[in-house]
Amino acid sequence: MVDFLAALAGGLASGGVLMIVLLVARRLWAARHERERRGREARVGPLALALLGGENSEGIEALGAEDRAALGTLLARYGRSVSGESLERIAEFCEREGLVDRALEALTHRRAWRRARAAFSLGDMASRRAAPALLVAVTDDRREVRAAAVRSLGRLGVTSAAEPLALALAEGTVPRAIVAQALLGLGCGAAPRLRALAGHQDASVRAAAAELLGLVGEAADARVLTEMLCDPAAEVRAGAAQALGRIGAEDAVRELRGALSDRIPFVRTQAAHALGTVGAAEAELTAQARERPYDPAHAAAQALARGAPAALERAARHPDASTHLLEAADLMAVRGS
Amino acid sequence: MSESNGHRPLVLVAEDDADILALVAYRLERSGYEVVTASNGQEALDRAAERAPDLAVLDVMMPKVDGYGVTERLREDPDTARTPIILLTARVQEADVARGFEAGADDYLKKPFSPAELRARVQAILGRR
Repeated sequence: MVDFLAALAGGLASGGVLMIVLLVARRLWAARHERERRGREARVGPLALALLGGENSEGIEALGAEDRAALGTLLARYGRSVSGESLERIAEFCEREGLVDRALEALTHRRAWRRARAAFSLGDMASRRAAPALLVAVTDDRREVRAAAVRSLGRLGVTSAAEPLALALAEGTVPRAIVAQALLGLGCGAAPRLRALAGHQDASVRAAAAELLGLVGEAADARVLTEMLCDPAAEVRAGAAQALGRIGAEDAVRELRGALSDRIPFVRTQAAHALGTVGAAEAELTAQARERPYDPAHAAAQALARGAPAALERAARHPDASTHLLEAADLMAVRGS
Repeated sequence: MSESNGHRPLVLVAEDDADILALVAYRLERSGYEVVTASNGQEALDRAAERAPDLAVLDVMMPKVDGYGVTERLREDPDTARTPIILLTARVQEADVARGFEAGADDYLKKPFSPAELRARVQAILGRR
């Protein structure tokens, strides 16, 4: 028994020493790899800058495989920060070097992290040829792959991605912030496809479309959004009210006033926010600021502070002024001083 | 105009991202400007105090002193009060843009940016002076 325990102790000690040796070796290998990477990037950095500027970059032909790969990595990093001709040159380089083909192939890899990395890098490479494959990757069974694909579609400005983005937002399959950022990358070109989703059978998709129209829409989208204020689903009405506030739709004031009487509190809240932006409906907002449900009343008071400060001051002086009105007036006074 | 090396205008570039700093400095140097760089806001102010630049390109989100702070302090210094300033940033909400101009910036360029466009803006501003 003692011999057994001694042997076990010896084995555990040896295992511990081996583990430490392996960790140290791995650390040293990683440090050396990082030094080599930085050295390569320092060598190819001037070539990358010359290529981005459209200057003579003949030195690229003489590079070895590892240096060319380092150049591709560096250019992809630049791809996140530049636009215009420089970005087009990055795309051309990546196509020429076969980097796009390799990334497209990796999009079907069995390992999710490789698919995600490939999806991410295709956006940096500015390869519009990757758009169809990225649209498929938006429905990948792994969240990180979907997120990377959405991000890259936004980087590439693929307007046909508007509907998949709205679906991803509605179903919660991609984080909201990533979808919103991608949609901003699509710009107003996505608005027609989002307007078309106003009649989708799924209320959550309609709500997502309304919300996204608030990000990329313009005044002309107010008509579709005011119609959505009458949607049977409260989330759609709330999304439409929010969007109308974002695009500053002064033509929709009458309908937004009507939304202040919605039976659902969060719809009234969004309507109040919107009216605060367009600066209207003082009487209705003052009345809503006296409501019992907290959120609509608070939103109405804040809206008055933004859009009708004089009306807020008058309402706050009233003997029956609600706490929301008093708070908003006090905050306004503090900010003003 | 400040005292420059030969006849080349001096441009101060402040950016905490090393890649972008190298890109902007390279592009402006190739366009014929003398460039001095800084990787944070305090360093930018120090460089400007050493030699007043003819133009400054400033990132907004920088450590120590952000781009807005650098802009305000350049405007307070008589030597740099009239130095044209271009803010280069990903922060493009209306409030951010307004804040930049209120701080005293002359132009605002959104990231991702076109290096060619930045160079054209620099040339346009310095060409007017």
